[in-house]
Amino acid sequence: MNLSYLAISQLHQAFLKKEISTVEIVQYYLDRIQKFDPQLNAFITICSKEAMNAARTLDAKLAQGLPVGRLAGTVMAVKDIYLTKGIQTTSASQVLKGYIPQYSSTVYQRLIDEDAITIGKTNTDTFAFGASTENSGFFTTKNPWNLNLVPGGSSGGSAAALAADLCTFALGTDTGGSIRQPASLCGVSGIKPTYGRNSRYGITAMASSFDCPGAFARTAEDLALITQITAGQDEFDATTSPEPVADYPDKLNQLSLKNLKIGLPQEYFSGSIDSEVKTLVLAAAHTHEKQGAQIIDISLPSTDLGIAVYYVLVPCEISANMARYDGLRFGQSNRDSADLLSYYLETRGQFMEPELKRRILIGTYALSAGYFDAYYLKASRVRTLIKNEFTDAFKKVDIILAPVSPTPAWPIGEKANDPLSMYLADVYTCPVNVAGLPAIALPCGFTSQNLPPIGGLPVGFQLIGNYFAEPQLFSLAHQFQQLTTYHLQYPKL
Amino acid sequence: MSTKAKITLADLEHVAKLARIKLSDQERTVFLPQLESILEYLDKLNQVDTSKISPSFQVTKFTNVFRSDVVKPSLDQKSALTQASKTHDAYFLAPKTIDK
Repeated sequence: MNLSYLAISQLHQAFLKKEISTVEIVQYYLDRIQKFDPQLNAFITICSKEAMNAARTLDAKLAQGLPVGRLAGTVMAVKDIYLTKGIQTTSASQVLKGYIPQYSSTVYQRLIDEDAITIGKTNTDTFAFGASTENSGFFTTKNPWNLNLVPGGSSGGSAAALAADLCTFALGTDTGGSIRQPASLCGVSGIKPTYGRNSRYGITAMASSFDCPGAFARTAEDLALITQITAGQDEFDATTSPEPVADYPDKLNQLSLKNLKIGLPQEYFSGSIDSEVKTLVLAAAHTHEKQGAQIIDISLPSTDLGIAVYYVLVPCEISANMARYDGLRFGQSNRDSADLLSYYLETRGQFMEPELKRRILIGTYALSAGYFDAYYLKASRVRTLIKNEFTDAFKKVDIILAPVSPTPAWPIGEKANDPLSMYLADVYTCPVNVAGLPAIALPCGFTSQNLPPIGGLPVGFQLIGNYFAEPQLFSLAHQFQQLTTYHLQYPKL
Repeated sequence: MSTKAKITLADLEHVAKLARIKLSDQERTVFLPQLESILEYLDKLNQVDTSKISPSFQVTKFTNVFRSDVVKPSLDQKSALTQASKTHDAYFLAPKTIDK
C-alpha cells in the first residue's frame, strides 16, 4: 500500500480494514525520518522505541476486536514545548535539555487517548519565541521546499515534518502566528483556534493571554477532527471556555458560500506585502466569489499598531512565565555559584538563549516602576481598540480573508541578526492573537520564482472568524480544498 | 506624553539584575542597540489617544473561575523530585540563602 502523504481518514480506514498495520505505518515514517531528517533537522527527539511499542499494542488491540480510538493508525509529531510524559521535552532550549516531564499536556493526552502515536518532538524557536525556528537552542530546521530557506516559526519543525511526510499530522502553538505562518511557508494547513478553545495545561507558557495550542494537517477535514478531539474545557486551565465543542467533522459541508460576506481588510493588502503573495491571496478570495460569496472591503485601522501591542504585552507576560526557570526543580543549572543571587544570575545567564534574554529584558523593563503605565497599561488599552475593530468588522462580514506572511520563505540567516525585522514578519498574524480570534491557514498557490529542486515557493492565506466560529472556518476551508489542489502538492525531497 | 525610549547601559544592567540574568560584556554590547531600536518602535503606541479606552488584560469574558476545594490526587512526591539536579531526601536542594 502506498502510504505517501496520506491524510488521517485514509490511514485510519486502512488500519481498521486491516489493509495495513500500525507497525508498518510507523516503520514508513521512521524510514523517511532516517532518510530526510538529517537534512531537515525537524526533530529534536525521535521516539522510535516508544512508537513501535505503541504500534504493536494498538495492532494487538484491533486483532482482539477491542475498540480503538478515532486516530488509530495515525502518527503525530509534537512541538517540543508540549510536555509528553516520559519523553524528553526541551522547548528547544538548553534550559530544559534533558528534562523528562512527569505529566502530559491535556491536548496531547486527548490525542493519545484516541490512539494517535507520537513519532517525535519537533524543533521550534526557543520556548516558541520566534518566526523562523532559527532561535532554537539546538539547530535550525530547513524548509523542505528549499533547504536554504527557513520553514517559518516558531512551529517550524512541525510544519517541515508534515510537509516532508514524516508524520500524518503535527502539533504546534500560535501566540503571534506560530502555526499559521510556518503552515503557509511550508505549504500545509494549520489551525489556530479561539483563545480558550484548547487547554494550555502542560505546554510551556510563553504569553498566557495569547498562547493557543493548535495543529497542522494535510486537510481542513483532518484539522476539524483533531480540534474536535482536543477542544473543550479543562479543569487544569481556568482560561478554557465552557462553550460546547460542536461536531466539526460533521459540519464540514454546512456553510453555504452563496451570499456569504467575506471581508478583505485593506490594511493587510498594502504596505510590505510581496506582490505575488498579494495576487495569490486575492485569487483565493476570487475562488470564494465565484461560488457566490460577496467580497467586501473593510478597514481595521489599528492594524499597524498590532506588532507594537504584541511586542509590549507578550514580552511582559514572558518575563513572568520565564521566572520559574531557575534550575532548582527542573532544568540545567550552574551549581558552582557562591550564593543564591549569583546562582540565579549565573544559571539563567549561562543556559538561556539570546532571544529568551531579549524578551525577558523588554518585558521586565516595560513592567518596571516608571514604565508600567507608558508600556503595559498603554498597550492593554490599544489591545481593546484592536479587539473592538474586529468585533465591529464582524457586524458587517461573516469571515475575514487575509494574507498570512508578507513574503514567502526567506533565506536562513537573513533576518537572524535583526530582531526587529523578524518581529515585523508577524504583521498579519499577531492582531488575531491580540483579539483572541480563531484563524485557519491554507495553501493558495506558489510563487513563480524558479528555485531548485522545483519551481515555486508555497504561499498561504488565512480565514479569520469570530469567537468560536470554528465550525464556519472548517466548513469554508474544506470547501476551498474541494475546489483547489494546492494542499495536495508536496516538495520533492 | 512621549516615553523615554533610549535605554542606557545602566538601565540594561538594572533590568538584567531584576530579571536575574547575568549578561556577558558581549551580550551587553549586542543587546543594547537591539533593545533601543525595539523600544523606539514600541513608541508607536503613543500615536493613538486611549484616554477613554479601558485596558484588556485578557480576551475571555471570565473572571474568578473557581473549583471546589476538594483534595484530589496530583503529582506524587517521588516523581516531582526526579528532574531536580540536586535533592536531599524529599527536598529540592537550593544554594544557601541565609548566612549565619
